[in-house]
Amino acid sequence: MLFFILTTIGKILTKDEERDRELMARIKTRDTSALSELYDNYNGLLFGLILSILKKREEAEDLLQEVFIKIWQNAEKFDLERGTVYTWVVTLTRNRSIDRLRSKVYKEQKKQSTSLDDEDVFHPLYSEESDPLENTILKERAKKVHQALDQISEKQKKVLQVAYFSGMSQSEISEEFDIPLGTVKTRMRDGMIKLKELLTKGIEL
Amino acid sequence: MSNKNDTFTELCAGYVLNALSESEEREFQQLLAQADEEQLLLYHELKAAASEIATLQPDVPPSPSVKKKIMEVAEASSKTKSKNAIIYKTNWYRLAVAASVLFIFTSIGLVIYSSNLWEQVQSKEAMISQQQITIERLESEVQRKEELLTILEARDVDLVMMDGLADLSPNGYGKVVWDKESGNALLQVANIPSVPIDKDYQLWFIVNGQPISAGVFAVDEPGRDNFFKIEQLRSSATDGAFAITMEPKGGMPEPTGDMYLLGDM
Repeated sequence: MLFFILTTIGKILTKDEERDRELMARIKTRDTSALSELYDNYNGLLFGLILSILKKREEAEDLLQEVFIKIWQNAEKFDLERGTVYTWVVTLTRNRSIDRLRSKVYKEQKKQSTSLDDEDVFHPLYSEESDPLENTILKERAKKVHQALDQISEKQKKVLQVAYFSGMSQSEISEEFDIPLGTVKTRMRDGMIKLKELLTKGIEL
Repeated sequence: MSNKNDTFTELCAGYVLNALSESEEREFQQLLAQADEEQLLLYHELKAAASEIATLQPDVPPSPSVKKKIMEVAEASSKTKSKNAIIYKTNWYRLAVAASVLFIFTSIGLVIYSSNLWEQVQSKEAMISQQQITIERLESEVQRKEELLTILEARDVDLVMMDGLADLSPNGYGKVVWDKESGNALLQVANIPSVPIDKDYQLWFIVNGQPISAGVFAVDEPGRDNFFKIEQLRSSATDGAFAITMEPKGGMPEPTGDMYLLGDM
């Protein structure tokens, strides 16, 4: 029951998930060509995500490398019952990006090197108006998310996007945008619940 | 929705976006560890929904060197695994050989053990058989003794004592307890020579000068008392004698051999 509902959420494109599961199965058997294919499918999306959080290309490339090596080494830990390959890979990538962002060493480096003139610093471009992804496989997925976000209030959407792509905590968002912490929490909760419901509903249709 | 679920939902939304404070994160992890099925479902659904947000930002290609480095690490790791696999195969081979040797020795051991066991069984069977013969002999002995006792128990019996003859059995001893009514008699003899294989002793009842055969018997152990049961010896005579002669095997219609014991009624 749990498995079916979970997979429904991630299965905007059923074929993608089938393809990803086959790749994961091959990676578990130490098939390097499967890792290569998985990289080709997701490197742009994951690198963009890491870059939006860490801002620096060099750091982001280092982390992307670390993520795929983790996928290669921890493929056995991927559990079909707990969700899709997409969710596993994206969550792993984002978690490691946030860990890096919040590490003392990174914060120290950031203080010393970040400036608006720094060419290496990436400024996130996420926007509902733009065509976000070159990758045709993920385009349909992005379209569904855009449609869902269109039905969420601007304030809730902003909190979700800032939290997701900047890696800011609720208290940091509260401070940065001068919004009461309780309001940030409420907007985040309501926004996430709404997004979940819309994505699920959209899939059912 | 209960307060407990409100707290879970609020913390869950922040958790899947990594937006909680450290203390809230620990609090949620504790809640998650005790979550019911409905809460777990919500957690997985929110996590999946959050991961969909990643598609909002543009594709950014990393430099080709990233993939190259990743594949180098994977290839190296794959080769190491292959080497390990060969080692495993070798280990399995050795293990198989060791198992085979162990199996052979175990088999030999089992053969020896079963052989010993077979011998023990054979020995026990022989012993049981021997004991069975002894039991049968003793049962037969008991039955014979009971039959003799039956004769002795009769209230009206004649007792005839026999003595050995001077030249052949000077110390010979014989006794007949005769129940005339039933025709059964008990014969007890001692100190007379063993009979050769082709000979038997024969008991005679002599009445009015005529010997009547009362049966044949053999003595193996002259030193001890030997008891025999005489059947179908019926007579109303009140006067007569008993004698024992040595005759050809199976006995004769009339006495032909030497006399060893003799006694009058």
